[in-house]
Amino acid sequence: MNTDPQSHINYYGCEPGKEVSPREGKRQPTPRANEARELYFETKSSVSMEFPYWYTRRWEELEGEIPIIRRAEALKSGFEHLTPTIYPGELLAMGKASFLRGSYPMPWLSEAFFMAAEDKLYMEAQESGKLTADTFTTMGKGGGNVTKSSGRVISIAGKFGLRVEEVPIMLEVARKWKDKSVDDVGHKYEQLVPGYKEKEALMRSVICMFDSGYTLPQGREVMNYYYPLQFGIDGIIRNCEEGIADVAGYPEMDRLYFYKAVILMLEGIKQWVKNYAEEAIFLASIEKQEKQKTEYLEMAERLEWISSKPPRSFHEALQVLWLFHVAVLNEDAISGLSPGRVGQVLYPYWQRDMKNGSIDREKSLELLECMRIKFTEIDCFASMGVVGGVLSGNTFNNLCLGGLLKDGTSATNELEMLILEAGITCDTPQPTLSVLYDEKLPEEFLLKGVECTKIGTGYPAWVNNQVALEFLIGNYAHEGMALEEARAWAIGGCLETSPGSWMPLELDNEIHWIPGGSAPATSVGVHFLNLPKLLEVALFDGMDMRTGQRVFPSHGYKLNSYDEIWQAFKVYFSRACHVLTLTNNIQHDAWRKISPSLVNSMLKPDCLAKGKDIGQMGCRYNTTFNIESCGTANLVNSLSSLKQNVFTENNYSLDEYRKALLANFGYKTAQETGSYSLIDQVPTEDYRDWQKIHRQSLDAPKFGNDNQFVDEIMKDWEDWFCDMTHNYRSLYDQPMYACQISVSTHGPMGAVTLASPDGRLSGTTFSDGSVSAYPGTDKNGPYALFNSATCWNHAKSQNSQLNMKIHPSVVKGREGSRKFLELIRAYLRKGGFHVQFNIVDSRMLKQAQADPDKFRSLLVRVAGFTQYWVELGKQIQDEVIARTEYEEL
Amino acid sequence: MEEYSCKDCKFYLPVDVFRGICKLSKEHVGPDGPLCDKMEKIAKCRFCANYSVEKDYLGKCMGITLAYPDMIASKCADFKWYKQN
Repeated sequence: MNTDPQSHINYYGCEPGKEVSPREGKRQPTPRANEARELYFETKSSVSMEFPYWYTRRWEELEGEIPIIRRAEALKSGFEHLTPTIYPGELLAMGKASFLRGSYPMPWLSEAFFMAAEDKLYMEAQESGKLTADTFTTMGKGGGNVTKSSGRVISIAGKFGLRVEEVPIMLEVARKWKDKSVDDVGHKYEQLVPGYKEKEALMRSVICMFDSGYTLPQGREVMNYYYPLQFGIDGIIRNCEEGIADVAGYPEMDRLYFYKAVILMLEGIKQWVKNYAEEAIFLASIEKQEKQKTEYLEMAERLEWISSKPPRSFHEALQVLWLFHVAVLNEDAISGLSPGRVGQVLYPYWQRDMKNGSIDREKSLELLECMRIKFTEIDCFASMGVVGGVLSGNTFNNLCLGGLLKDGTSATNELEMLILEAGITCDTPQPTLSVLYDEKLPEEFLLKGVECTKIGTGYPAWVNNQVALEFLIGNYAHEGMALEEARAWAIGGCLETSPGSWMPLELDNEIHWIPGGSAPATSVGVHFLNLPKLLEVALFDGMDMRTGQRVFPSHGYKLNSYDEIWQAFKVYFSRACHVLTLTNNIQHDAWRKISPSLVNSMLKPDCLAKGKDIGQMGCRYNTTFNIESCGTANLVNSLSSLKQNVFTENNYSLDEYRKALLANFGYKTAQETGSYSLIDQVPTEDYRDWQKIHRQSLDAPKFGNDNQFVDEIMKDWEDWFCDMTHNYRSLYDQPMYACQISVSTHGPMGAVTLASPDGRLSGTTFSDGSVSAYPGTDKNGPYALFNSATCWNHAKSQNSQLNMKIHPSVVKGREGSRKFLELIRAYLRKGGFHVQFNIVDSRMLKQAQADPDKFRSLLVRVAGFTQYWVELGKQIQDEVIARTEYEEL
Repeated sequence: MEEYSCKDCKFYLPVDVFRGICKLSKEHVGPDGPLCDKMEKIAKCRFCANYSVEKDYLGKCMGITLAYPDMIASKCADFKWYKQN
């Protein structure tokens, strides 16, 4: 870190050191998983039109049918027409679409994106027909992203490839959904909300990142695999038939249609599985290698069995889990569909197979590695703003380990140790891992988790079980949740505390209480609010000075005191929450009417028992909408700087500050320099005019140093924010709550924000997470950072997020592991909710940025997720490089 | 005369939009790559008797429903090989 007071650059942000230190030695996956991963590395994200074609075709045929039945028939048609693809060596079959990293558009949710791009897509399709396929060889960078159109492939959203032959049908199918999609119908009615124009201004200024009500209408939740594991597909169908017999003709007739819709949907899934079984038999028929032939036949047998019956073995149970995971992903645009506590759900099967000798640890590890590859293949098709700006191409399938059992004892088991081992040997972004840390967890398990984190995977993240339980009881007691049930929770998506339930899995006449999600998506709400931008708009009395457009009417404050600035900020923040909550509720209402969840509803307790889908509050718990923030540390640091420089020390007037912000403290903007961290920023000719105010802004107290002046501001913000969110009601008439993860939004949201009073420059990326310090500003060591981060009660929020970067040499060896575990414990014992680590040398990241082709497999932790470095946008890469790198603990 | 490529073959396993694997040889092949003597057509709309061409990359199924020529139709109950095929 350059601390030269005369220097105009590199003041903040962590500069890479001189020597590159490698991460601690990695182990290799089994040859089978290694081969599958190599194939994955060479594979591009690809889109096909099969599913949307058949979905739309069937939908159109059923004009006038009851909507949920129409939806079920459309899903059924989509599933049963998907072409099965099985790749050599696979032990788990099935995928979203007929490509390895396959996905597809869902125009019934939103078709506007394609229609807006129609001319461009047609033009590119026409032009690219003249090119040769060989031109693809220029597309080496970006990992699996199809970053530009080439040959007979069209790039969509800078990530997905679509064959030229399928462009016309994509546009034709999209056209059929014009004015009928959830997006269009929702938009028609959201305009009826008083003050709607303010919502549009919020979106244009990127104070709000995206409409969550239809863009990603499901996700950031925890799956529940109990019903197919216990009853099998035919068993669930029988349950629904009984349900129909009970309710047909009686009041609350919607239950009848729900049961019928579930049956139809399951018939489609059943056929989809059978199609895979048939393909496996075909492959066996042409296979010359005996081992592979046998594996195909065994796969066919497994698939045929589970197409109707409950699984008989660990392998079959894992296949059931995967099949229904993909099935949910195929019914909606979803990110953050977490498999939950897989090691505990599947433990009864694994334990039985180990006892009877039908599986051993080696085979188990291979299977778990194969599971990692399958989860890593998942892609979520969405627009560039969502898939890049929010998700960084990640899909956030969070697998949780640890926590407590129903009776309050440690929930870890041997299978979870193997899951950690597979995460070490086969390091891939998915599923990411989280340890639900509790003091009752055994040391051996925790050290295994540390071993995994140390190799630089970024996982497991460390999450505080007791803080989560306090949050859950606080927010779900009114829906009947007690402590015992709260223990079934898990992380949905990257870091969303999600309620669960204990389900009675009966195996060999013994009941095993397995945990599973029992609430709908937490991916819906006000997502995300740009805190530094809201402060900027408050300082300029409602104007977005980047666009010159008014966002809010004048707040009426003269801003003569710090309190008035704080009040003005709160007024605007509340206005944004108000209008965005209402418009989001309307969008999601359109979703539940036009495109209700069937697969996920069938899985989630108590939808089947109630005969209601998720959108009709069929779930046991329904308090899931949230208000998400971004740029917390920059907001707090900016308030700290204004408080000190304008109102305490009177160094500058507020007008002088406004001028300095507009002048970007005499620097070029990030867009001009192409660098998005404070490192490497370029001054303009007149930067000296602003040098003093910039220096004093940078020198103002910063969050993360155990400094009371600024930590009190943090506490004020958190206490107010977490409480005020409860004033807003979700579509399900439940109070909302605070959610504090940045995912990747701190990149694009920083890009639209002027310089901020903390000295951050225009367009540069914000601090990540919510209790992470701004890069380079935490100068007093990790324990000071922990004190600052825990200056408020984390149980008031669905989460808090702390990312740290530690040099590999610090945690080296066994002693390093113990030291590392103590560091984690220290934070969680202080009441921190979550901490995650990048164990990496920044110099290596610099090398990877300059030469991405040599670093295809390099993983980094961003904000709640691990991603391949080469698939991250530059805004986020720059921010990760700049993060403070701890060289001692 | 109809032109065929690897992606029209029932032994073609698509990996992504740029390439696939031959199910027989296990070699990586391009979707637009030349055919070999083992080629067997996979059921696709454009090989179906019910498909009629409308314009480039678009047509009709049974003269009524929108369809596209390159869609794999092996799971379509109405697929009928066009007799010249």
